[in-house]
Amino acid sequence: MSMRNPVILVVAALVIGVVGLTGCGGEGQDQDSDKVVRYLSLSAKVRGMDPMDIGDTTSSSVASQIFECLYQYHYLKRPYELIPCLAADFPTVSEDRLTYTFKLRQDVFFADDPCFTATEGRGRQLVAADFIYAWKRIADVKNVSKNWWVFENYIAGLDEFRAYTGQLKAGENVDYARPVEGLEAPDDFTLVVKLNKTWPQILYLLAHLPTAPVAREAVQHYGKAIHNHPVGTGPYILKDWKRGNKIVMVRNPKFRQELYPSEGAAGDKEAGLLENAGKALPFIDEARWQIVEEDQPRWLIFMRGQLDSSGIPKDFYNRAISPGQELKPEMKKKGIRLQIYRDPSTYWYGFNMEDPVVGSNKPLRQAMSMAINRQEYIEIFTNNRAEAAQGPIPPLFREYDPDAINPNCQYNPERARELLKEAAKVHGGALPAITISTPGADTLARQMGEYVTQAMGNIGLEVKIDYMDWPSFQDRIKTKSAQVFQIGWVADYPDSENFMQLFYSKNVSPGPNNFNYRNPIVDALYEKAKAMPDSDERVQIYHQMEDIIRDDCPAIFLVHGVAFVLHYDWLKNYKPHVFGYGLLKYQNIDLATRRNAVGR
Amino acid sequence: MTSYIIRRLLYSVPTILGILLVTFVLFNLIPGDPSYELAGKSASAETIADIRHELGFDRPRFLDTEALSQGRIAAAFDSQFFNHFRNALTLNFPRSLTSYEHIWDEIRSRAPASLSLAVPMFVGLVVTSIAIALLVAFVQGTWLDTLLVFICVVGMSIPMLSYILFGQHYLAYELGWFPILGYEPGAQAFKYVALPCLLGIFSGLGSYVRFYRTVMLDEMRNDYVRTAFAKGLSSPRVLFKHVLKNAMIPIITTLVLSIPFLFLGSLLLERFFSIPGMGSYFIDAFNSRDFPVINAMVFMTSLLYVLGQLVTDICYSLVDPRISLR
Repeated sequence: MSMRNPVILVVAALVIGVVGLTGCGGEGQDQDSDKVVRYLSLSAKVRGMDPMDIGDTTSSSVASQIFECLYQYHYLKRPYELIPCLAADFPTVSEDRLTYTFKLRQDVFFADDPCFTATEGRGRQLVAADFIYAWKRIADVKNVSKNWWVFENYIAGLDEFRAYTGQLKAGENVDYARPVEGLEAPDDFTLVVKLNKTWPQILYLLAHLPTAPVAREAVQHYGKAIHNHPVGTGPYILKDWKRGNKIVMVRNPKFRQELYPSEGAAGDKEAGLLENAGKALPFIDEARWQIVEEDQPRWLIFMRGQLDSSGIPKDFYNRAISPGQELKPEMKKKGIRLQIYRDPSTYWYGFNMEDPVVGSNKPLRQAMSMAINRQEYIEIFTNNRAEAAQGPIPPLFREYDPDAINPNCQYNPERARELLKEAAKVHGGALPAITISTPGADTLARQMGEYVTQAMGNIGLEVKIDYMDWPSFQDRIKTKSAQVFQIGWVADYPDSENFMQLFYSKNVSPGPNNFNYRNPIVDALYEKAKAMPDSDERVQIYHQMEDIIRDDCPAIFLVHGVAFVLHYDWLKNYKPHVFGYGLLKYQNIDLATRRNAVGR
Repeated sequence: MTSYIIRRLLYSVPTILGILLVTFVLFNLIPGDPSYELAGKSASAETIADIRHELGFDRPRFLDTEALSQGRIAAAFDSQFFNHFRNALTLNFPRSLTSYEHIWDEIRSRAPASLSLAVPMFVGLVVTSIAIALLVAFVQGTWLDTLLVFICVVGMSIPMLSYILFGQHYLAYELGWFPILGYEPGAQAFKYVALPCLLGIFSGLGSYVRFYRTVMLDEMRNDYVRTAFAKGLSSPRVLFKHVLKNAMIPIITTLVLSIPFLFLGSLLLERFFSIPGMGSYFIDAFNSRDFPVINAMVFMTSLLYVLGQLVTDICYSLVDPRISLR
């Protein structure tokens, strides 16, 4: 074997190359060591950053660092509380609660961007017309916005504007100057919104990312590519976005002065969450998101300190958490901290109330609900990261009734077997096999399917699980062709109306009421409560509705989610928030601690 | 040869049209209307209908007979079927329904990532497996042959996912020899694709070696090989000059026809190593019923496949003088 052999030389060069390129230097090391960089991951791809089209949590969590709304949630206070963001204060509301007058802050500017040709790229001041323009874009049928549901039927004249855009032929431009009765800007910093009907949830929706103002110049400059060129008023601007790979944002130098909150919830001071009180936001100079769709690599880069925070994938739960739901000592030794919080979510098996077998057979639905041992389900499928549900409203909400016990949600196979006999009588003979449609065919979905099959078999009911992908599943429920379906709901805002709309008869499929549940009493109560401002009386109405729904049993209510999140101790001011997304501005990094731990 | 190429290209036209027809039929058979997802989770029935209308999902499937009866010929052909063909044949695909990006922009940005992983992996796999196959063919019937075949069978039996999980955990995380994940374009790409590339080669080696071994052994049994050895030619000369050259026909067939699929990337490797390639793009498009993307990808792949077949035929005539293209 001679070293003059060219094959050997090539192999040697390759080996040296591989070792040289992969072995030298750490991954993602910063040249500028004083720069405060936050490392994050995303488990799904960001679809786009135009607020009008954002309907998924991944895109929201990123774009909300760039765009802001009239209102935002207080970062620290619990229960969740709204505070003004782009609005100077809370609105003035007319006596009939149909006219809202918002005063805007006058120190807000869009970030610099080449789209502002009139000012040679310098971002201009935010004005009330930017909101009107953004909301008309959502109404414009041609834009196929995901978020028309936010405004539909509420703002005077906006539905008519939508109808007008729908009548235009291909190639005809929408006239955005066309007046809308309910949207007026008497001056640059005043926005008047007139409603068709009372809308107590309006401020929650005005803290929802899709309602963020958009600069007309940006839309005109970038056209359809606006999804890749977000121009907002928020604390960060987009520096780099490689789709499916990474996103980098840097501090917006034109961000107005906003201060870290000086008060929080009980225990926040002791937890060090008020150490930066009164200081100007943001603290982080640069945020880097790595898109990692698989659990193992995400977990490994977190454990190596390449991420500042992470959730706990199911398969790695036992490595991090002890049976007593505490962080294991070896994790604590690494400087990792655990935060546990309730999710605004409920998961269920829904019944299609228009199905001839399950829809007209209450004992059957009740029997199926009683057949599932929720505690066992929680242990097996969530590593105890969930709470047994008694109804649709999760514990996080003011309208949640902690004393309510739903007999249909109690594991009771004996009673379920009795109910099944009644169900057979109602059906008029032996019950056929019930088909449960399930989104996904991965291991977890199949394990859940097997569990439910076994649980139903235990009471003498045959079920078939139909595994399918998400679009097929959507098709099944939206066309009312599913018999029973596995799904859940994560609230958009802290008002139980968001859950109760799912049982309103005017929302049946393809609307959000996928149960196709119809109950005139629930409808009347929903309409009454929806129009009422928050009060004890409204809470009672929600309790009443929930009691009726529990008894009618249009769903097997399973669990409410509980989230576990890990973060290193160098990540400061970290407090999970389930409704707000633009939270990066509050967080901080202790660079010295991180450098000592992982060398960057 | 020119007339042969032209003839083959003309033959490809009905194949491409057939593929487009099959794709259209499949689109209409598989359940899943993207309008539901695009309308948002709280959308009303009216909003969903508006979206279906804007995206043209409510247009006549094949022909607008009403427009035809009114003599509006252009409107009559404004149907889902003809739009599907028009978009493909003019390469004017609409934007992605989910990422809102131009499909060509996505392909331009993702194809280099896929190719930077797939090409070295493919070349490495082919070169290594042919070399091992030649060795195995040379030592056929010995314990080394049996051992290598056994290793190949074991290697084939281990799922690709196991290689990935093992490699990523031990080679990247525990030993720190490679980055755990990530991708940067340009020269930096080498650093990130090295491990997935090695894992891809190892996982594919078993089946490739077994295939090439069979091809080589078939050749080794021919009279000309016996004659070459009888003439006293050295083993490397017989193997590389005669056996390998004559075994090229089946090798070329598999190689050239594999090339179009390199463009599609490797889904598992791309997902686990966060490489923003075509594999995940195609799967995501399918999972969200992003029909413009699926249409574009199927069309492009079938086009490359048809071209690949043509290149294969041309290569036959280059490596085997007995074959002439007419």
